[in-house]
Amino acid sequence: MGDVVLLLLAALSCHSGAVWLALAIRAHWRQVTGESAPDAATVRMLRILGAAALLVGLVLCLWADAPSMAVLVWIMYLALFAFITAFTLAWRPQVLKLWLPGFRPRSPLS
Amino acid sequence: MEPTALGIALRTLASLLGGYAFLWGASSLGIAGLVALGMAYEEARTLCMLLAFLLYLIIFLWVWATHHFVRACVILVAGAGLFSAMAVVLQQQLTAGV
Amino acid sequence: MFANFRQAMAWVHTWFGLVLGFVLMAAFFFGSLSVFDREIDRWAVPETRFPAQPMPSFDQVLWPVYQQLRAHPLDMAATARRVEGEIPHPDTLPLVSLYAYTTHRDPVLQIGGEFAIPNKPLDASDDHQHVHGWASIDPRSGTYLSQDKLQIGSEFFYPMHYSLHFHWQDLGYWIVALAGLVMLVALVSGVVMHRKLFRELFTFRPHKRTQRSVLDLHNLTGVVALPFHFFFAFTGLVIFAGIYFPLGETMLEPLAKQHQVLEAERTGLPHEPAGEAAPMASVDAMVVEAKRRWDLRGMPGEVGYLFMDHLGDANGYVSIYRAGNDQVALVGQGVHFKASTGEVLREDPPPTPVFAINEFLTGLHLQHFKHWLLRWLYVFGGLAGCVCIATGFVFFVEKRKKQLAGHSARLIRWVDALAVTTVTGMVVATLAILVANRLLPADLPARGLWEERIFWYSWLVMLAHALWRSKAVASGLISPAWREQSWLVVLLAVSAVLFNWIGTGDHLVKTLNDGYWPVAGVDLFLLACALVAACAAKILRRREGLQQPLSPRNSGLQDNLEVARG
Repeated sequence: MGDVVLLLLAALSCHSGAVWLALAIRAHWRQVTGESAPDAATVRMLRILGAAALLVGLVLCLWADAPSMAVLVWIMYLALFAFITAFTLAWRPQVLKLWLPGFRPRSPLS
Repeated sequence: MEPTALGIALRTLASLLGGYAFLWGASSLGIAGLVALGMAYEEARTLCMLLAFLLYLIIFLWVWATHHFVRACVILVAGAGLFSAMAVVLQQQLTAGV
Repeated sequence: MFANFRQAMAWVHTWFGLVLGFVLMAAFFFGSLSVFDREIDRWAVPETRFPAQPMPSFDQVLWPVYQQLRAHPLDMAATARRVEGEIPHPDTLPLVSLYAYTTHRDPVLQIGGEFAIPNKPLDASDDHQHVHGWASIDPRSGTYLSQDKLQIGSEFFYPMHYSLHFHWQDLGYWIVALAGLVMLVALVSGVVMHRKLFRELFTFRPHKRTQRSVLDLHNLTGVVALPFHFFFAFTGLVIFAGIYFPLGETMLEPLAKQHQVLEAERTGLPHEPAGEAAPMASVDAMVVEAKRRWDLRGMPGEVGYLFMDHLGDANGYVSIYRAGNDQVALVGQGVHFKASTGEVLREDPPPTPVFAINEFLTGLHLQHFKHWLLRWLYVFGGLAGCVCIATGFVFFVEKRKKQLAGHSARLIRWVDALAVTTVTGMVVATLAILVANRLLPADLPARGLWEERIFWYSWLVMLAHALWRSKAVASGLISPAWREQSWLVVLLAVSAVLFNWIGTGDHLVKTLNDGYWPVAGVDLFLLACALVAACAAKILRRREGLQQPLSPRNSGLQDNLEVARG
């Protein structure tokens, strides 16, 4: 049963990673926040967060299964959550604000 | 430039059959060579097959992309013949006396 | 021939992808179903709806079972074509080797063996002096499963995905291999064509015009599952490398033969029979010993594969392999025994790096491991592949709809009709075989053959329907065949679930309540399929209503509108 929890956590981690990496792309940032583009520091931050989340996902997969199996699960997770993220962006982009806690839109004048 | 029907037919043949013949020779020589170097036959076969399909992909793309189609055909056909012949000779030496 | 590399790649991607795409679609779709082949078997053969069983006792259960095993009529016929004279009656042929294979998902056991024949081969270099027999048995009682019953998952959908059931000269295998190579080519050339791989990794714009959104979906499903697509096409080729490059049976035969002799010397497992009869020691005791050795290695397990060669001969030996529930490789850790005494001849060392890589690659494709999450992820990957190929067809048609004239109109109609046939038509045929499986009389002779016929005929009817309805495509419209076949999918999927309920009493409330996932899962999947098809049909209806037939004037207008929309 412990494996199930680990694999769920890994899923969550990989999903977050995919979302953050997507938000680092200008077009998707605009879809989610309504702002034209994230600043350079935010982009870097999102990329680091995204990569780190994917890495944590891999570690959790390795913890849950034998390494050979874990790698397969992880690669398929990446595919699945990239796909889910793309679909969320297409139909419910505002949902992804969940991954930007504390985000305040800049005023239109600034 | 619009590709001609003849050009397409020739490249299809060269990329599929030429590639296959070349890999037939190259894998045979690879297997015989590795056996000569002391690897077990089955292991050599497995290794060469793993590489063969990746090489097939590269050869296929190369035949379609190259500007020197005739040269590519010559390499494939000559390679197929030469490698096969070398594999057979090497095999004769390896199995001599059995 | 091409101006530059990118153009060459685009041409190869378009045309090879189109032609072999129809085959790839079948490989990907039936491959995805094969992930749950054993579960589909349970659905299709209700008498096997009981829990998975471990390898039964050889001495008590299996040995009497093998006494009843006979050469299979199919292999008798195939062998008769390559030997001189008539093969003696199957009852008189001696069993010389045998095997049994099971996994953690198998209630029934697959067994088989080779029978020696006295006939001379027509081709002197052909040294395969055997006919094969195979069967599925109930390991609890040792009774044989009727060969008239088709295990649709593992005996029909699974072989379909690598052989297309086209066995003449093994041509099906070769066509699928070509499709596999083309898949690899399409992946590489697709990446070359795709200018914004990373920037558009998450891009899907369903609200843009069809041509754009279809291309988005094509790129998305192709790119996110790229490693899956690549490794499944590649490992599919590697698994059947022996068929595609039969070097050991042809040019390198002397070397391969020498290897067999050397290998037998090295491992102590005799390659040839001694020619003198010998009794057989208890195989159950050998299983106990093998398990003890796996325990010692810190990897306790069950028997996955059992093999015996030179039966009844002094050189006879027994190989026992551990089931690979917890690893990617199918089986492993073989322990080999002398059949007459039960003494251990050899314990396999860990595989060399080359074999370990090969076991990993073939194992990840064949997936006999115990990991339900990964199984479902594979279904996702496989269906993503189907979407990628199908959207490729739709894009091809959409892109050319506007420049329709004579010759090209015919091509577009054919491509669209074949796309309908390989997308909705294939699902209809798949559902038709399941419905037929529930409706045909239980004791119909050659029942399985009828099920297969119904599959092929219904597919053929779908092709005819798609061609008949394709006229709309020539006027730049959506073929109504897409929508009509989607409704047929809904109808068949729901009826399959209903007929399963009526015929076996195993309705969803019961199977879910009992936690009997093989049947509950197939039923749920069928209902999900019906739901998706119904949604697709409704969307298609709406889109058909919005469209105007293409005439030179409003096609220009449409273009302008699209430009305006961006």
